[in-house]
Amino acid sequence: MVIEPMPERQSASLALMFAGGSRLEDDRLAGVSHFIEHLYFKGTSKRPTSKEIADSIEGVGGFINASTDKELTAYWARVPAEHMNLGLDVLFDIVTNSKLDPADVERERMVILEELRMYQDQPQDYVQNLFEELIWPGHPLGRDIAGTEESVSRLDRDDIMEFADARYRLPNLVIGVAGALDEGPTLAEVTRNLSLRAGMNGSLAAEPPPPLESPRVLIRRRETEQAHICVGARALSYLDPDRYALDLLNTVLGEGMSSRLFLNIRERLGIAYDVHSFTQKHRDTGYLGVYIGVDPKKAVDAVNAVMAELRSLTENEVAPAELARAKEFTKGRLRLELETTNGVVFWLAYQELLLGEIKTIDEEIAMVDAVTAPDIKSVAAQVLNNPMQMSVIGPFSRDSAFRLAIGA
Amino acid sequence: MPARAATERIRKAIALVNSVADEAGDEEITPTEIAEAIRDCLEMSEVDLVPNVRRYLGEALDAVSDGMPADFVAMTLYAALGALREGS
Repeated sequence: MVIEPMPERQSASLALMFAGGSRLEDDRLAGVSHFIEHLYFKGTSKRPTSKEIADSIEGVGGFINASTDKELTAYWARVPAEHMNLGLDVLFDIVTNSKLDPADVERERMVILEELRMYQDQPQDYVQNLFEELIWPGHPLGRDIAGTEESVSRLDRDDIMEFADARYRLPNLVIGVAGALDEGPTLAEVTRNLSLRAGMNGSLAAEPPPPLESPRVLIRRRETEQAHICVGARALSYLDPDRYALDLLNTVLGEGMSSRLFLNIRERLGIAYDVHSFTQKHRDTGYLGVYIGVDPKKAVDAVNAVMAELRSLTENEVAPAELARAKEFTKGRLRLELETTNGVVFWLAYQELLLGEIKTIDEEIAMVDAVTAPDIKSVAAQVLNNPMQMSVIGPFSRDSAFRLAIGA
Repeated sequence: MPARAATERIRKAIALVNSVADEAGDEEITPTEIAEAIRDCLEMSEVDLVPNVRRYLGEALDAVSDGMPADFVAMTLYAALGALREGS
């Protein structure tokens, strides 16, 4: 459990974060973690309907929600500080006393199937899913967190209850609380609410993805007005000591309107409307990707321009002023994120659950400050040494020019 | 810019393809004319100074002979032009 008193705040944020997410699901169970997250809001023995769950928190002006990720599932609430006990009661209620009513399972199945179809109609998002299929082919990490239409259609109540019973146990749980609270009474209230079963090792026992052999291109033909492209390569895990250098590389490359991609590809060349980079990190793998939204005629030109920016990071050290700006950007974003009790509770619980240690903000900032220009160049070379992968959604029936752009 | 002449020829080919793609202009432009314009580009030695430029032009020519849409041909020509720009 992690507790962070923030006495100057008016709110308290609470999170129940469980290790395990879609990465632990085999093909048959694909999407079960996400399905469970949906079902836990449908009703409990104490609050039998979703309305009663929502009302209990919204009735005091609070927020309640949940999210499923590839390596964790989080249930959270943010409430006025004097209602912290209510927030804890509701969160523990939904993860321990949910009814999992068969009729709710069927209704929610339809909702999730619609959710999956909705994402396919959003090419900016869908192209990233396709990219992850390329980055982790045939591995649960490469699959949509919500599963596939086939798996969601097949999952039955027994599958759901069995998976929930195995995963929603004490060793898998980190409880985070931050805000205007006293540590002693908070701990006592959490202890009073804890009724999850013990047993089972909480550690992630997932298989690492196999190495990628070669660059590949995946085109999904759609008659869209814009081409949507994700291009990138495997990068570092969140346990890698070079992850700070990777984050700074990402900032220099494509975060914000003063990044290289934005300035060179959008502002100077005028090729793309939206171009930015992003990273994703897991226990044993990760990636650096670039998204481009571009006129289909300029699609390959834009990819070439992105590749040139990437190559430039492996050939030349980032200038001192640019590095300093990237560091200030990263540190500033972290500080802003930690302004809210919600930001703090997620930051702490995430570290405890996945990293196994908690760094203070000063320690984190010191790690960012310690990164040098040669570190960034070295990480860029490491990343670009991996085979490039590219997913494309647009009006294309041939991939040869795209393959040429990434040497596939 | 050492590849200025090649750049100009590629631009000319792009303009032809774009006029087909945009259905602009009074005269109908034939695939043969477009192929000719691309071959003009391929004849220039400058296109060998930068990696992939010749290959993109070759892709564009193939796309014309395979009857691919004008937008697709334009895309490969823009790629050639961009490669020349990055290489120069």
